[in-house]
Amino acid sequence: MKRPWLVGAGLTSVLVLTIGAAVAVGSTATAWADVYQVLAHRLFGLGPAPDPIVDRIVWRLRLPRAVLACVMGGGLSIIGVAMQTLVRNPLAEPYILGISSGASAGASLFYLGFLPPLLSKTLTMPLAAFAGGLASITIVYLVARDGVRVSVARLLLAGVAMSALMASITSFVTFSSPEPDKLRAVLFWLLGSLSGARWGLLPIPAVTTALGLGAMLVLARPLDALLVGEEPAQGLGMPVETLKRGLIVLATLVTGTLVAVSGAIGFVGLIVPHAVRLLVGVPHRRLVPLSFVGGAIFLCWADLAARTALPGQELPVGILTALCGVPFFLALLRQRAYQFG
Amino acid sequence: MTHRSIGLLLLVVVLTGGCGDAAPDEASRTVVDDLDRTVALAPSVRRTVSLAPNLTEIAYAAGAGDRLVAITSSGNYPPPVDTLPHVSALPIDFEAVAAQEPDLVLATDQINAPGDTDTFEALDVPIYFFSFGSVNDILSGIETMGQLLGTEAAAADSAEALRSSLDALRARTDSIPDAKRPRVLVLVGDDTLYSFGRGSYVHTLVEAAGGTSITADIENQAPTLSDEYVLQEKPDVILGLWGPDYDPNRLLDLHPTWDVVPALQNDRVFSVPTSLIARPGPRVLRGTRLLARSLHPDRFSGTPDSIGHAPSSSAPSPSTSPSTAP
Repeated sequence: MKRPWLVGAGLTSVLVLTIGAAVAVGSTATAWADVYQVLAHRLFGLGPAPDPIVDRIVWRLRLPRAVLACVMGGGLSIIGVAMQTLVRNPLAEPYILGISSGASAGASLFYLGFLPPLLSKTLTMPLAAFAGGLASITIVYLVARDGVRVSVARLLLAGVAMSALMASITSFVTFSSPEPDKLRAVLFWLLGSLSGARWGLLPIPAVTTALGLGAMLVLARPLDALLVGEEPAQGLGMPVETLKRGLIVLATLVTGTLVAVSGAIGFVGLIVPHAVRLLVGVPHRRLVPLSFVGGAIFLCWADLAARTALPGQELPVGILTALCGVPFFLALLRQRAYQFG
Repeated sequence: MTHRSIGLLLLVVVLTGGCGDAAPDEASRTVVDDLDRTVALAPSVRRTVSLAPNLTEIAYAAGAGDRLVAITSSGNYPPPVDTLPHVSALPIDFEAVAAQEPDLVLATDQINAPGDTDTFEALDVPIYFFSFGSVNDILSGIETMGQLLGTEAAAADSAEALRSSLDALRARTDSIPDAKRPRVLVLVGDDTLYSFGRGSYVHTLVEAAGGTSITADIENQAPTLSDEYVLQEKPDVILGLWGPDYDPNRLLDLHPTWDVVPALQNDRVFSVPTSLIARPGPRVLRGTRLLARSLHPDRFSGTPDSIGHAPSSSAPSPSTSPSTAP
């Protein structure tokens, strides 16, 4: 099988080019030569010290944002894969199943001071998001479970309903808070934005996402078996229930951490794994890493569009991912006999 | 200046249409508001509700504060309004407004939705819309208010006092050469960088205070600026509408890359109460004086009120000092 390697190499080079474009384009005009002078100087110590203004724009504003977009897009994509394998249906996704909005509700409750800070602020926020997401997905999962089987229709409906409920909680606590900038805060939590990106914010989401990626890679074989069906997997001696619970916790942990930094960005985990499956098929050892790279590329471009679409203004990036994602979701919904691969 | 001519034109329209006492028909009078709507008024307006804090201040400046029977929940100036009933303006609490049985409701398209006129018409309550695109609109707004509420003479005096104070201030700053005029960035938010774009009267205030506003040419009327825009534009002064107790270090915490921006390097980040700049009313004079003193401490010293000559109608304001002394 040469093809997966080719696809992998192709996607990785596209990702490098994408990050290159993401740091070169922004709300103000910077010459490409200046941008790459900064990168050459910062990364390889080459060339003279760049202009301090361009240096700050490229190295401290645009690059952390591009890296955050990669972590976010990649993380949401592999969590999409995990959810889809869990329910054996390509329509599952952290945003659609209510994890993201649950995490948003948790994070905004903490952000607005309704929850006590247990640890430091940087740690409590993802923890609150995790708790909110876990509460939401647990309810969705319990509602959708029908004996041992999970009804997909019920799962989606419960997910949509919980999303709406959690979004109302977020909106309610935000509007009832003394926060002066209410509308913006609601937009941030419900539609997501990468505008707060700083190097200092990156370690927690990056480490959590890397953990998620590692776990998914280690679990590649059991996940493949789970796709075939729970009974065959059980027949192979796999602890199916434990695996499923583990997947839910993992998905919620990664989603919660990401949402705590950037709000709820939807549909990335729906579009990307589907596209990657068309290229390399269903085996997880290929699907997981390539979905990660694909998601990073997708969200980088979505964010680039979000900050350049309207002159002098920034859109919440979730608007753009929803604009791409919802038609996609509807098309998938029509495809009744969708099979993985 | 198209704004000025439009303002004058509207004023003429209001003057000619609004002076009910000139017409023999005493039953009612009609005026044309800033949205070109024809408004039928009672011969004398006794009870009025203000739906915007600047309209409340303008009504007081026009000598017609006693005609107000209710104001909006965000209205907080001048002090006598504290005893008036407050009604919600966003969204409009129609029931609470109608319960005051007003002869006239005062609104501005800056805050209130022009679509709300239909509901007021259905309730048979006349509503007059003001629009403030320029500093001149504020001055003519005071005069218009006087005509609407029957205090023409007091309003004309007050507008004239404000105009001459602004002119006196401008006369002192006109002589400042371009090279000595700092490039000023006016910010509404400190985290999210809301600012003023093309067509805002705020740029006129900055100019009258002896500065140049850098966002005057931005197409969007209410732009949200990016961190990198501020880095590129290198403002000499940042004027925030964040209240008198703002700690400028917070700005550097929120935007750590701005350590190279001249305004932060030279400790020229000033904060003034929002209502002195962003509320198009009589107190913009006070805000502009405060700004002039911040921009040119060598030319303007002492209390803000001593810059230019004090207007007759200026009430004391408790909190008008910039957060940092230059």
